[in-house]
Amino acid sequence: MSLTDIAITGLGAISASGKNIPETLLSFSSGKRNGGPVTFFKTDLLYPVFQIQNFNPPKSDTMRSLNLAIAAASEAITDAGLINGFGNLRVGICLGTTVASQLNDTDFYQQYRTYGQAPMNSVERFLKSNLAQALGEFLKIRPRFCTTIVNACSSGTDAIGVGLSWLRNDYCDLVIAGGADELNRVPLDGFGALSVVSKSLCTPFDRNRTGLNLGEGAGIIVLEKSTLARDRGKNPKLFLNGYGLAADAYHLTAPRPDGSGLEQALVQAFKEAGISPKDVAFVNAHGTATKDNDLVEGKVLARVFGPEIKFISTKGFTGHTLGAAGGLEAVFSCLGLRDGWIPASAGFLNFDPEIGIAPVNQKTEINGNYAVSTSLAFGGNNSALIISKHPALI
Amino acid sequence: MYIAGMGIVFNRGRGLANLEKALIEGWVMPEVAYRVPAEAITDKQVLKEARRADTFTKMATLAAFDALIDSGIPENSKQKLGIILATAFGPHVTTFNFLDDILTYGDSGVSPTLFSHSVHNAATSYIALNLQTRGPTLTMTQFADSFHQALILAESWLQEKRCDYILVGSVDQVGKVMEYICNQKLKVALDGKIKPFNFSKTPECVPGEGAAFFLVTNNLKYNKYCAISALPQNNQKEADLCILDSDGMCGNEELYQKISNTRLTSYAPIFGSLLTLSSFSCLAAAIILKNQKLYASPIKDNPHNLNILTKNETFLIHKINCLRYNCYQEGLVIQLQKGDA
Repeated sequence: MSLTDIAITGLGAISASGKNIPETLLSFSSGKRNGGPVTFFKTDLLYPVFQIQNFNPPKSDTMRSLNLAIAAASEAITDAGLINGFGNLRVGICLGTTVASQLNDTDFYQQYRTYGQAPMNSVERFLKSNLAQALGEFLKIRPRFCTTIVNACSSGTDAIGVGLSWLRNDYCDLVIAGGADELNRVPLDGFGALSVVSKSLCTPFDRNRTGLNLGEGAGIIVLEKSTLARDRGKNPKLFLNGYGLAADAYHLTAPRPDGSGLEQALVQAFKEAGISPKDVAFVNAHGTATKDNDLVEGKVLARVFGPEIKFISTKGFTGHTLGAAGGLEAVFSCLGLRDGWIPASAGFLNFDPEIGIAPVNQKTEINGNYAVSTSLAFGGNNSALIISKHPALI
Repeated sequence: MYIAGMGIVFNRGRGLANLEKALIEGWVMPEVAYRVPAEAITDKQVLKEARRADTFTKMATLAAFDALIDSGIPENSKQKLGIILATAFGPHVTTFNFLDDILTYGDSGVSPTLFSHSVHNAATSYIALNLQTRGPTLTMTQFADSFHQALILAESWLQEKRCDYILVGSVDQVGKVMEYICNQKLKVALDGKIKPFNFSKTPECVPGEGAAFFLVTNNLKYNKYCAISALPQNNQKEADLCILDSDGMCGNEELYQKISNTRLTSYAPIFGSLLTLSSFSCLAAAIILKNQKLYASPIKDNPHNLNILTKNETFLIHKINCLRYNCYQEGLVIQLQKGDA
């Protein structure tokens, strides 16, 4: 398998950092963080969140997560030069989410609970919003390969991994993959009950970190066979080389303390990509700013990559966007390679000796051809993607 | 891809013996919906780690465990074992219980345990924990063809050698709220009978729940039942028998009239109506191929005079198609074939 087999030809992202990639990069460059109080729904909880402000949904009467997916997918498809449609291409769609998969409308349930009946509007909305299916309908295609991944916080990463499998097995010519999730009262209350949410803006990998902030967004990439991309006049510069997925089999919410699940996922990804840790220019870590995640993940990064590895968590800019996180972070990894820089790991100030390594704390130049994006999920899923650029092709 | 082991939890209980018994017995009047009896999910040993888990997780854990035991694959194979779970609605009962908590106790008074279990992939997490497997695990959700997609991914992972064995299955539940939604959105059969051969424009359904798991592998040595493969949409290859998933969940069933198979049946009236019914139909198909025995259609209403199975009998049978027309009116076929296909 050649390292330039599967190209990444389109990128799209929307989060509190920006409603598209150029806006996001401005925020990253300036270090601007757009966290603040929840305004989308009533809640007793005072945790800051990363809401997307002034978002005009492209589609009415549908879940916000789908609209976020449409926004990011539209940017990615335009970037890939496919704005006029897909012609006879065999297209696949694989998206990750958490909120959009749940019928968790509080108003609906309150009415049902009180009166024994409730209007079906929110049920209709839910049934029309299975992300992958609904994105296909929006794009006016009905792919044979179309599924929504619900692997909690690694959903977006795993959706991209599934897309890679489809392409390698020649099921599709092109895959739209990534993740999307909206801010919602259910996960805010749930994570709050688990005592993993911070009352201030999150500080991933910081010694004094106190937990995560929730966010919302969508990160989508267009994957296709490089030969196809070249045939249609695109000159791909970014590639997806490896994917690893491994289970902790330890606990429903806490990561395995020795990090062996994440390490196994990384080993698999390296093997697929045919590279070793020393080839990696930087890592976009999961970095939620919870005590457990950052400790486990940080130690694994130190063990696998060595103390000099450059790594960041972009959750200081976006919040933890749950099912969207893996998609967004894949996009951000691509941007880092493409543009030759990564932002400061927003929120980080104090080295944690228990972790032993620290993320970059200023905008940092990147020299190197490989990036890794890691995700650790509720339920003990661990995923890793390896992305590359090839300077000879730039 | 071969089926090495199977496991089921459904309204008649747990295990393949109960499935065979149900296939022989035929239709039984449901209590409103086809629900899993409480005694079917009370295995203290297998569910030790999942004792605080919800019904959704318990069904999944037991069916997956049984499929692994049924397969007889060696203990050290678990390191190369993956898990793929398909669901249409996920653990919605737990989600609604969590909403109950929010409404009763406020945002800061909710149960963290309920929240943790309301996440769709909690079940696969428990399966991995129970079996102590460290391979890839993935949960997917779809309304149109979730089990179909799960099988495709399983084939893909085995081809790539991402793992050597995969527990692939589906789980869905029907709680009180979902029962209400079904009554609002679908035509629920007042007599408790799904009539799969009526091919009506407005078919009737009876909601069902359960978990069905297969342990699959490309290793022919473990071909205990048959080969299994998800075919491209609207591709109905020849088969000795076609099992229909016409269960009233996907609207207009007139397209089923296009079927040209000589022999037809449907076991939807045993399992109930589920968007993931295909997995249960495939279990029945695998049992038929293993036993070389046909089981009568549980409901024999046959207004179109089709060649439906009307009795239980020994029969030489090689290939079975499980067919579902989904909400896009696409014909999804999963083919099961005896021998080293």
